[in-house]
Amino acid sequence: MTDWSAMTDAEFRKEVRQFFEAEYPEELRHLPHRPKFAEIEHWHRKLHAKGWVAPAWPAEFGGMGLNAAKLLIFYEEQQRWGVNRGRDMGVQMVGPLIIKFGTQEQKDYWLPRILSCEDIWCQGYSEPGAGSDLANLRTRAEIDGDDFVINGQKIWTTMAHDATHIFMLVRTDPDAPKKQQGISFLLAPMDQPGVEVRTITTLSGETEFCEVFFDNARTPRENLVGELNKGWTMAKALLSFERIFIGSPSLAQNALGQLESFARGRGAFDDPVFRDRFAQAALDVEDHAALYARFADQLKRGETLGADVSMLKIWVTECFQRITELMIEAAGPDGGSIGPLQVGNVSVDVLASFYKARPTTIYGGSNEIQRNILSKAVLGLPG
Amino acid sequence: MVRELAEAGVFGVAVPEDQGGLGMGLAAGGVIAEEVGRVIAPEPVVSTIGLSLGLLRRLCPDHPKMAQLIGGEISLAVAWQERGPDGAPADATCRYADGKLTGGKAWVVGAIGSHGFLVVAEQDDGPVLVLAEADAQGLVIDKQTQADGSSLGELSFSGTPAAELASSGAVLTALAEAVADATALAAAELVGLSERAFEITLDYIKTREQFDKPIGSFQVIQHRAVDLNVMCEVAQAGVREALAQMDSETDPKVRAPIASRAKARAVTAAKKITRDAIQLHGAVGYTDEFDIGLYLNRALVLSAWLGDDAYHRRIWFEAREAEGAAQ
Repeated sequence: MTDWSAMTDAEFRKEVRQFFEAEYPEELRHLPHRPKFAEIEHWHRKLHAKGWVAPAWPAEFGGMGLNAAKLLIFYEEQQRWGVNRGRDMGVQMVGPLIIKFGTQEQKDYWLPRILSCEDIWCQGYSEPGAGSDLANLRTRAEIDGDDFVINGQKIWTTMAHDATHIFMLVRTDPDAPKKQQGISFLLAPMDQPGVEVRTITTLSGETEFCEVFFDNARTPRENLVGELNKGWTMAKALLSFERIFIGSPSLAQNALGQLESFARGRGAFDDPVFRDRFAQAALDVEDHAALYARFADQLKRGETLGADVSMLKIWVTECFQRITELMIEAAGPDGGSIGPLQVGNVSVDVLASFYKARPTTIYGGSNEIQRNILSKAVLGLPG
Repeated sequence: MVRELAEAGVFGVAVPEDQGGLGMGLAAGGVIAEEVGRVIAPEPVVSTIGLSLGLLRRLCPDHPKMAQLIGGEISLAVAWQERGPDGAPADATCRYADGKLTGGKAWVVGAIGSHGFLVVAEQDDGPVLVLAEADAQGLVIDKQTQADGSSLGELSFSGTPAAELASSGAVLTALAEAVADATALAAAELVGLSERAFEITLDYIKTREQFDKPIGSFQVIQHRAVDLNVMCEVAQAGVREALAQMDSETDPKVRAPIASRAKARAVTAAKKITRDAIQLHGAVGYTDEFDIGLYLNRALVLSAWLGDDAYHRRIWFEAREAEGAAQ
């Protein structure tokens, strides 16, 4: 096993970069959609053989055991090379929760299966009546003998149609005084009669989101992670690293590169108005990267990030949207055309980028929710 | 106040140690400029660090005026821009011959109360930097009052005696460098100004009550406040990064667009923040009873000086294109 901490950050970056550049399949670079597991299975096997599936997990559980600085480098290199994250809900969400709150049996059973992708996970949090107000969730789980019996509905469950298991927040005590109480964290198999998955077609024509219906679905009682009715605080505890990751500059940087080559090919830079708007967008990305570096340095010094890190997500997602809107502008009469547009030797799917940018201000806590958080936790504004 | 700043070493912050300064670079200069911005101090700190000392330390570091400037004993305003017949900036035509200046200079910061002028002029064999005393013969100083109460000088010289400090192409190179330094430091001053204007506004919306609640409890106000805060943080991070990059970069062609990046960001942020600050204060924000208006006025002046955001985005983009074409 490699002792990553013995390596300098620069050496580590080089090692990661070399591996991605040498081993990552060219046809999977910068995938415009979320792949099903079968599509990326050959890459996952390589990653698994290398022991790099779970960069954040401690080495004793089969992870790379990276510190915050190296973890950030790993993700930066991943994004730089357009390496798909794969079906990483298990690695990113369930695994850390089991490691932190699970029993020894749960660790022994689930963690290796997450790493090998023998189990593929989806996240059952949102519900039709519980989006931004997640604590309002109503899906019930009741104890019946050795099982929990689950009834209710989840929505926006990414790639549920290609998952073997779901980790979910469920209501286990409907009479709790506060709605954040009485919520538990439960694991359940998808392949059973009481679970029905329907895909949702998005504006871009993709079907990566699903609805999942539970009609007396069952899961063994030992699939409760952590204490009964303590799921809310557990799930929240996981989000700290996620919040800088979701604000990383890479999406906007990649889109800016696309915009530039497309606009250049189309002659859009002949227009001084376009030039100024491009310069604005490019500087928005550059200055965001400076702010991101400030937070990243905080992490690298071993400090815990505060709520103010949410500002990265607000800025970069809105910037990403403006960049993709400029692409449509540069496309002129082709701005409504589906599919790749050829410009010289570059091909750019203008609408795919535009659509990809839309939900970024909605998911991961909508930008309005982020503003609420900053307003209270950082600015100290009342009520 | 100028003497106190000088005693703290402020003016010599970016002057190398072997020239009598602190040798701490522009990044440290930026920290000082941010503080100056926070208190909207009218003192010509940035123009002295960036322009006057920026020129002298590059062209004649042994000149006795250097030490006097660093020590705050004197101030020297730099006169380098000229106004054309249409009122817009124009090419330099101010002449220097036989030890005398003839012509005019415009937009001179710190002209009123200055002990003399560092004038960039033309002589037969090219550009020249000369020093004209404030009370020199044939020098007329017109005052153009600014939004913040400060003044810009419009100078006219008719056979005004002046001493040559440096000549040849090096003058224009040093001028461009000094202007880049001052531009980036003005950006830092705007960052400090924006931060303070935001803090004042934040305090105000926490205490001002309407409908029996602090107005800062209303979501529409909260989200606007957050956006201003984010803008402030992005500006601070971007400008500080730019100043640090300028310290580690020697090629003037590379340093200039970095300064433009900084000024473009700082002006955009300061304009938005000071204008929204007035709106969030409501009617009292539009009166001279409240300090917040002083921030708006100072932001107007600092934005216009050495180029606003639209101007610097253009410069930045053109430099980027030129670099791309060269590769």
